[in-house]
Order: sequence, then C-alpha cells, then structure tokens
Amino acid sequence: MSVKNVLAVALGILSAIGGFVDIGDLVFNTQAGATFGYQLLWVVVVGVVGIIVYSEMCGRVAAVAKRPVFDLVRERVGFGAGLGTLIASQIVNLMTCAAEVGGVAICLQLLAGLPYRALIPLAVVALVLSAWVLPFEWIERVFGYLGLGLLVFAVAAIKLHPDWERVAHGFVPGHHVGGSLLVYLYFVVGLLGAAMTPYEVYFYSSGAVEDGWGLKELGLNKVTSMIGYGLGGFLSFSLMIVAGTLFPPRNIDPQFLGTPPLAAADALGQVGLLLALVGILFAVGGAAIETCFSGAYNTAQFFGWRWGKRERPAAASRFTLAWLVIFALAFLVVMTGYDPVKLTEYSVIFSVVALPLTYLPILLVANDRSYMGSNVNGRLANVLGVVYFVVILAVAVAAIPLLLLTNGGQG
Amino acid sequence: MSEAVEVDIALGILDHQLVDANGQNCGKVDDLEIAGIAGGAPEVVEILVGGNAWRSRGRLGHLAARLSGNAVHVSWQEVESVSSVVTLKRPSAELRLNRGDDRWGELVGKLPGS
Repeated sequence: MSVKNVLAVALGILSAIGGFVDIGDLVFNTQAGATFGYQLLWVVVVGVVGIIVYSEMCGRVAAVAKRPVFDLVRERVGFGAGLGTLIASQIVNLMTCAAEVGGVAICLQLLAGLPYRALIPLAVVALVLSAWVLPFEWIERVFGYLGLGLLVFAVAAIKLHPDWERVAHGFVPGHHVGGSLLVYLYFVVGLLGAAMTPYEVYFYSSGAVEDGWGLKELGLNKVTSMIGYGLGGFLSFSLMIVAGTLFPPRNIDPQFLGTPPLAAADALGQVGLLLALVGILFAVGGAAIETCFSGAYNTAQFFGWRWGKRERPAAASRFTLAWLVIFALAFLVVMTGYDPVKLTEYSVIFSVVALPLTYLPILLVANDRSYMGSNVNGRLANVLGVVYFVVILAVAVAAIPLLLLTNGGQG
Repeated sequence: MSEAVEVDIALGILDHQLVDANGQNCGKVDDLEIAGIAGGAPEVVEILVGGNAWRSRGRLGHLAARLSGNAVHVSWQEVESVSSVVTLKRPSAELRLNRGDDRWGELVGKLPGS
C-alpha cells in the first residue's frame, strides 16, 4: 500500500469515527450511564459488533454486485413488503433527521445564546446549503473530522478517574443493580438500536456505490467498517463512563442535550465544554444530512430512479427533491417545539422495528453466488450474521412493548 | 440475447433495476407480461414499469397503483442483457421511461448550481 493510500484509509477511518456517534448514541449512552452506571457497557459492544458485521456485508455487496441496500430489499422481499419497509424506514429517517436538526439547534443555542426556535431555521439552512454545495467526500470529512471533538469525552472519562474495576464489570452481562428489570431491558434495546441504526447501512452502502467501489475496495471496506466503527464504539463507551461517573451520585437525569457537554466541562473546564459542543454540533449535523440522504436513496432505489450526490441535481430531479422535502418536513417537525431528546428516544426505538426487513435482504444476497461469486459470506460472517439477525428479531418484537411499559425508560 | 442463460424470473428479473443504453437507471421491472401460458410455451413478452403495473403486487401495491397513472410497456425485444440489473438496448427517453425526472427536472433546474 502506498503512503497516499494509507493516508486515504486513515482519513476514511477518522471520518467514520467522527460519524459514528449521533444523537441516538448521545441520548441513550448518557441516560443509560445516569441510570445504571457502567452496567450496560456490554450492550454497546454487542451493538458495535453488529453494525460492523452488517456494514461490512453491505459494503461488500456494494463493491461486488454494485447494489445498494434498498435495491436488495426490493429484489428480495418484493414490492408489497418492500414498500412497507420503505414507508417504515422513511418515518424513522424523518424522525431521526428531525431529532438531529433539533440537536444542532440546541448546540447552536448553547454556543451562541440565541433563542432555540430562531436557531432551527438557521440550522436547517446551514445543513441544506452544505449538502447542496459540498461534494460527497467533503460532507463526510468536514462533519466527520469536526465530530472528532467528541474525543474530549474519552479524555474526560480518564480524567474523572472512574472505578476501573467496576467499568470492567460493565463489559460482562449479568445481574443488574438498581432500577427495574423492564427499564434495564428498555436501555438494552435502545443502546442496540442506537448503535445499529438502519440509516447507517443505507448511507454506507449507497456511498460505496456512489464512490464506484469494486473488488479493489474490499480491503478498504473491511478496514473502514471494523476500525472506524470499532473506534467509534469507544466514543460510546466514553459517554457512558462519563455519565456513569458523574450523574448517579448527584441524581442527575440527563433529559437535556446540554447535559453531556457539562460533564466534559466538569472534567476539562471551558475548553472541554467548547470541544464537546463543537463535536456534538458536527456529529449530529453530519447525521442529519446522512439521514435525509438515506431517505432519498431508499426512495430512489425502491422505484429505480436515477440517484446520487454525484448526479447533476436536475438530472436526478426526483432524488434531489426527495432529500429537500425530507429536510423541509424535518424542519416542520422540529418547529412544533417537540423535545428533540424525546423524539430521539422514539426514533431509535421505532428504528429497531424496521431493522429485520433491512438486514434480512443483506444477509440473503451476501450469500447468493449469482450476485457475489466467490465473495459470498464466509463462515464467520454467516454465523455472526444469523446470530445478529435473531437478536434483531427479538429486539424488534420487544421494542414497542418496552417503550410503553416503561414510559420511555422512566420506570 | 445471444446466449442461453438460466434465470429465475421471480428472483432474477422481477423487481430488478432497469438500466438504459446510457447506463442510467430508468425504473424497476415492476411486472412482467407473459404470453402463451395456455399453449404450454410461456414467454416473457413485455416489462411493465410504474403506475398500474403495481396493482398485482399486494395490497400496498394495489393502493399505490390506484394513486398513479398508467404503466409503461417495454417489449422484451428491447432487453440487451440480464445480470443483477436488466439492461436495455436504447436510451430511456426513446422508451418513454424516466419521464418523472424530466418533468421535475425543469423545477429543480431553476435552483442555482443545479
């Protein structure tokens, strides 16, 4: 590998790390930490391995068969069930996009001190302009790199001197202490959903097809998904460790997006606060663009339209309109004043329900020699793929009952 | 098509991407018109794209078909090859495909930088 390639791979990994955390991870990791300390760290490991398994698989399908995820959904589950999946995923994408837009507005509010409502239109205009003007790789990089400000939580986690033995115990599932079993299970579902959000695989595979990935990129696909998402998982650990160290002794319930940055300030002062806010701003802003593009990718792929950020906007006009309309709808949702943190909780829990029909076609096609030739799933990918599919099914069935029974984790 | 290739119609053609002679996406194989079933020598004669081609595709398809217009019929003679996509011999405009993008393209084309 030449120096230039190594650099390109390293940059890709960096933006994958910065792009891993979105508002779902922020909300669920800090709330899980505040409620159960470090006891749910193992769930993040399970979720991160899951997103690695499925993003590697759909990246490989994109590189070998050149088919993005929603092409596979349509081809494997047909028109009716495919349309059902499309509608469900669009609702989740819209809710997620709205939550991320709300998150951007909250960060701007904390940075600039202007009223939240006035900052929502500003946030949407800034995001739409970046999505319109910046080329694909620049969107990924600008938001991915600046999202690395979140690394401040890793530093804070260390500086807060948590009880590392208890942290280590958190990586082993077992009996939980404090809180009810149902609330514990609610957080298990939420943390899995936050780590394995379906829009990540839609965006990742469509991006790979847009970038014209071929057999040459199979190595890059492995490295980006494993190292990028793997290290991204460390940010999730950090968030939970920081919340688990600071919040339970003081009985703080992080119902506001402004709470996690304050945790960074507690450990690292004003610089920590600023870095945390910038990190969240760009991580969440990047995710807003990704969710809205995912919605447009899915629709275009389902109906067979021309699609892609690289296409001239007027040539792929339906795709262009689709993402503009999603941003407009997200804007309206946020403007209702509905709490973005609540919106995040619902969007993550509902996204879990849409996961099985997204992941099943990936698993089937990754095993189909007529698409994949010799690059079909190996034994490891299949064992993990099937195990995770069973986990996803169980979680999808439990998600809504848990949401209702625990009143959104309130117990 | 020159060579005989075995393809499962339901799995390998239906719901697959249509690509025109210029390599542009131009819809999905939403339904297939098959002739000669009664005579014992069934043959795919047409690909149906969009609109009421969805009416036979489950309850949601039926509903979607009622809300949209007529399907575009593309003769199987227009098919160049079948792989993971169905490639056509001519550009989409000549086959009346992709008209949605043309229609909305005028609107989107008014935006700066499009």
